[in-house]
Amino acid sequence: MSGIFARIAAVAGYLPAGVLTNRDLAALYPEWSEDKILQKTGIRERRIAGDGETAADLATQAAQKLFTRHAVSPDSIDFVILSTQAPDYILPTSACLIQHRLGLKTSSGALDINLGCSGYVYGLSLAKGLIESGSARRVLLLTADTYSKYIHPLDKSVRTLFGDGATATVVEGVEADAALIGPFVFGTDGAGAENLIVRTGGARQPRTAQSAQEKTDSSGNVRSDDNLFMDGPEIMNFTLTTVPKAATQLMAVAGTTLDTTDLVVLHQANAYMMEALRKKMHIPREKFVVHLEHCGNTVSSTIPLALEKVLEGNEPNRGQRKTMLVGFGVGYSWAGTYATI
Amino acid sequence: METFYAGLAEILEIDAGKVGPDLDLTKLAWDSLAVVSTIALVDEQFNVMLEGKALSQCQRVSDIEALIAKKKG
Repeated sequence: MSGIFARIAAVAGYLPAGVLTNRDLAALYPEWSEDKILQKTGIRERRIAGDGETAADLATQAAQKLFTRHAVSPDSIDFVILSTQAPDYILPTSACLIQHRLGLKTSSGALDINLGCSGYVYGLSLAKGLIESGSARRVLLLTADTYSKYIHPLDKSVRTLFGDGATATVVEGVEADAALIGPFVFGTDGAGAENLIVRTGGARQPRTAQSAQEKTDSSGNVRSDDNLFMDGPEIMNFTLTTVPKAATQLMAVAGTTLDTTDLVVLHQANAYMMEALRKKMHIPREKFVVHLEHCGNTVSSTIPLALEKVLEGNEPNRGQRKTMLVGFGVGYSWAGTYATI
Repeated sequence: METFYAGLAEILEIDAGKVGPDLDLTKLAWDSLAVVSTIALVDEQFNVMLEGKALSQCQRVSDIEALIAKKKG
């Protein structure tokens, strides 16, 4: 049945100027060579935000790049959604600041989503809901994170993986015969909260001199309670257990198979995790999008950065590729959907 | 066990011929990354999900094999 359906119209990414290479890291962690870091993580370099540069700054740059490159008028946007875990302030909402900085109409809606690696897919679901309910016509979906600011320089378990970055996506309503985004599957398991966490700085646990005390773990990584902590083995268990199930559930709801799926874009966590998932899910290599060598794991931005890369190529089937997207991580939180791109 | 040993050799960055039940992990780079990679390897080859903490405390390859056997029941 034809009607107005939401689609991804354009995607643009923005990476900050700072670069953290494997050479820089190997100098800090003598037990890991440059080659080993690349081979295990699939990452050559990460981009790092400057001292005074926030996630909202990166998101603003990504939006401006999108407006210029894709000739999108800021006036045509009637809703802005920002997925970030690095807001400028406790309050107000970063999306409100960005509305003003981008000169978006004051009749625009604006809100933040506090999610990590699943944030983009959740954002798409909100954008689709707004558009297909007739509440908005063009939604600007932003993702931006600066985990580097939470990471202790001597914690190789996370510093080798995460990079900073932002993306901007225009989701708009178009006349179509069938949905161009969806269906969705969601999942949450707050029992995993402790395994990927920055403990202090929120209402539960303020930052104190004691929380800033550094400790060294059994793998020689240094961090305090003010830093990002990731229990790698627990996250691997969660991922290998949850993501294949979510994808199977999504394919059942969508009435698809891997054969009828053109591309698969999973959250770009790191090479060893992605390869383990690819094998377990039996995804053919040629359908499996990998895009992290020059940016690392950019949290909420990994999926749209990969989409930007895919959309840069001018393949003849552009606009028709049925692409599976699955975001998963901190929370635990996960979500999957299809987007026709 | 051949393919499991080959996978472990890759993770530990040693020759496959050196991997056997008695191999001493404490003398090798048995760090969090190796543990994470081994979780994926064991899941792929034995369809068993090992706990990170128990795995990181393994001292020999035979300890990993015992964990797998216990999980398989």
